[in-house]
Amino acid sequence: MIADPLKTQSAAKMTESPQHSVAPVSARHDFVLEVNNFSVDYGVGEDMVRAVNDVTLKLRRSQVLGIAGESGSGKSTLVYAMTRLLRAPGVISSGDVKLNLTNEGDPEEVTPLSLVDASERELRNIRWSHVSIVLQSALNALNPVLRVSREFNEVLKTHRKGMTRSQRHDRSVELLKMVGLNEDRLARFPHELSGGQRQRIMIALALALDPELVIMDEPTTALDVVTQREIINELNDLRSRYGFAMIFITHDLSLLVELADEIVVMYAGAIVERAGASELYQAPRHPYTLGLLNSFPPLHGERRELAGIPGSPPDLAELPEGCSFAPRCPFAMQRCRHEAPPLTNIGDSDRSVACWLHSGDPSVRVPVELSREMNPSRTRVTALKERT
Amino acid sequence: MTDRSSPVQLSARHLTRHFATRVPGKLFQAKRVVRAVDDASLDLVRGQVTAVVGESGSGKSVLARMLARIISPTSGDLVLEGTPIPARAKRTLEYASKVQLVLQDPYASNNPVHRVRHSLERPLLIHGAQKHEVDDLARAALSRVSLDPPERFLDRYPHELSGGQLQRVSIARALCVKPDVLLADEPISMLDVSVRLGILNLLKGLCDNEHLAILYITHDIASARYLADEIIVMYAGQIVERSRGTALVDTPTHPYTQLLIASVPDPSDPTSMASQSEEHSSFAVPEVGCRFAPRCPFAMDVCRTSDPPDFKVGEGHTSRCWLYANESEAVVEMALPERRREGETTKT
Ligand SMILES: Nc1ncnc2c1ncn2[C@@H]1O[C@H](COP(=O)(O)OP(=O)(O)OP(=O)(O)O)[C@@H](O)[C@H]1O
Ligand SMILES: Nc1ncnc2c1ncn2[C@@H]1O[C@H](COP(=O)(O)OP(=O)(O)O)[C@@H](O)[C@H]1O
Ligand code: SF4
Ligand code: SF4
Ligand SMILES: [Mg+2]
Ligand SMILES: [Mg+2]
Repeated sequence: MIADPLKTQSAAKMTESPQHSVAPVSARHDFVLEVNNFSVDYGVGEDMVRAVNDVTLKLRRSQVLGIAGESGSGKSTLVYAMTRLLRAPGVISSGDVKLNLTNEGDPEEVTPLSLVDASERELRNIRWSHVSIVLQSALNALNPVLRVSREFNEVLKTHRKGMTRSQRHDRSVELLKMVGLNEDRLARFPHELSGGQRQRIMIALALALDPELVIMDEPTTALDVVTQREIINELNDLRSRYGFAMIFITHDLSLLVELADEIVVMYAGAIVERAGASELYQAPRHPYTLGLLNSFPPLHGERRELAGIPGSPPDLAELPEGCSFAPRCPFAMQRCRHEAPPLTNIGDSDRSVACWLHSGDPSVRVPVELSREMNPSRTRVTALKERT
Repeated sequence: MTDRSSPVQLSARHLTRHFATRVPGKLFQAKRVVRAVDDASLDLVRGQVTAVVGESGSGKSVLARMLARIISPTSGDLVLEGTPIPARAKRTLEYASKVQLVLQDPYASNNPVHRVRHSLERPLLIHGAQKHEVDDLARAALSRVSLDPPERFLDRYPHELSGGQLQRVSIARALCVKPDVLLADEPISMLDVSVRLGILNLLKGLCDNEHLAILYITHDIASARYLADEIIVMYAGQIVERSRGTALVDTPTHPYTQLLIASVPDPSDPTSMASQSEEHSSFAVPEVGCRFAPRCPFAMDVCRTSDPPDFKVGEGHTSRCWLYANESEAVVEMALPERRREGETTKT
């Protein structure tokens, strides 16, 4: 059922068609994106550092995948490389990324496209219309000398050739409304807008062509909480109306728990834990996830001292042997210092972790903090109240 | 007011700072006054952390810079250890050695061409330390902020340190002149999540063990709750709510504080998603009446005509909101906007 990405690639190259000219695979794919054993390096030779290390992940249609981790953990590099926006000295060193595009006409059919091998032309065709990405630097991503209306015009003109000028205007107004902005913003220059307004405009642009996948890299990190809340609510609302899948990157785990269906946690370029949002929050399994969760002072409950994560973020050029978290890990064992733990499923559950504590070795005692049970009979709220 | 035994180190009395800006594009350039800080009074007390919380542009940094006397107030006074500081007098070296400011961006506040040693020793020399003692003092300062052993850090350049380490250097530099008051303007907002708590715990330690008076400025109300003995919420240049302890977070009374708290991502509270999603930034701050009125779900007629004063809503807890005009002794429980609108107020 899954088409060989290499075949897809060569077929597309042969015909040189701007459309994805491979015979569509019938039967709709569950996953909009599949990333396998993906690695990205910066630089070559001596100075080479591996910023993304053997990442495998899948994203279901209309779902939200959250990526969390401290800065430098490789979150941005991963999505830049995945969407082929990565610039030198960054290079994809291995793995593949498959985007399962729905066909216009028959949404039940999908065509896989290997993003790693796609030509510039194929990439141009899918950007904005199938995949759009709001970058971390989005606050500066708008061209300072162009009015907002021009940005919308460009995108619509390039990808919706049949649209007339007035249709483009109407669509732009509609898009602004969608993100809660008044149409008079169209005549503004970026410097006349607040950070929150600019970010809303980027989101409107990202949704302009009704993409299947929207990638957001820390879209709210530079904003204050009230504005962040407004934008998150807007996104949730838009998602339930339009059904796009989303990858949302942030270092704020509590934000992700509210927003995402599934969360992956990255450390030093690798995924160290993957689980459903509430599982990850209520019952973390990786010591680093636990540390991240304990790094945010709570709004409720008794005040008590929090320890956070000891030590400093890792230096990719000098990662230790074994588990890269070992120097900061309060539970590190002998084995951790010379053998790197692989990302493996925990028992027969649908969650995975890269940590020797969960290898099933009966001589290893899993600390209580990392073996908490999910209790489905309790609501989220009461479960948490008991914890604090 | 000249009580030397008082634990109050630094007091601000009715501090106000206005900026005149021109409205561009008008034929007759209209002048507009930005009321960056209006009538702010606070006491920084030895051994206590006072937190100031507010959104971007609410006046937090202007307040901190007035307290550091880097900018002068339009009106209002400062009182340092019971001695009033004349409003227009220049900032003295003595004042600077008692009140130190730490800024948000450690990369901007540490000169990239100088080693850590230089940025610690220079202020020491300026403040009258002897050449032969600066090395020891610099080492001691680094140890105080847990950069151990100091010799590993003294000869490094800023780019060779992580953000968290560099922010510790900024704090060490502020500490090495032995101030009584430390003003920290968003000291963690540019830092990595995993090192933020380290800086917060460091500030707490300085306050508990060395009895510094600390002003902690932040837009993160949860970190204010974690650290502070008193919390102050600012909106559009005014102090709108303040409480001793965490009362203001546990039972917020001002509609802006309620909005702020409801906006914080909080997976343990499903109602935190409930607030409205319309953009607020298009609302101008009104010239008369309550500055929050255009965004306030409870705004009444009186709110649009007169600026509310502070009302007492609990022990050491005040709220600048007309809702508490007739019940200034009452403590009002947190009421989410939706519940309030239905008239279901929860007074006790
Ligand atoms: N030199 C200046 N000239 C004119 N207006 C100014 C000046 N400095 C500050 N302001 C204005 O005063 C208000 C308060 O600014 P301030 O820098 O204190 O905000 P803040 O609360 O520290 O915000 P942030 O969280 O973004 O740091 C803002 O409206 C700002 O634009
Ligand atoms: N242009 C570049 N050249 C060399 N290293 C880089 C470059 N961009 C990022 N890196 C390194 O790659 C790692 C991952 O960075 P990034 O993906 O930006 O992290 P995140 O988005 O998780 O904060 C970091 O160690 C960073 O220093
Ligand atoms: S493998 Fe060992 S060092 Fe790594 S996170 Fe697990 S317990 Fe800690
Ligand atoms: S005074 Fe009126 S407008 Fe202002 S916060 Fe209170 S209720 Fe709202
Ligand atoms: Mg990033
Ligand atoms: Mg500021």
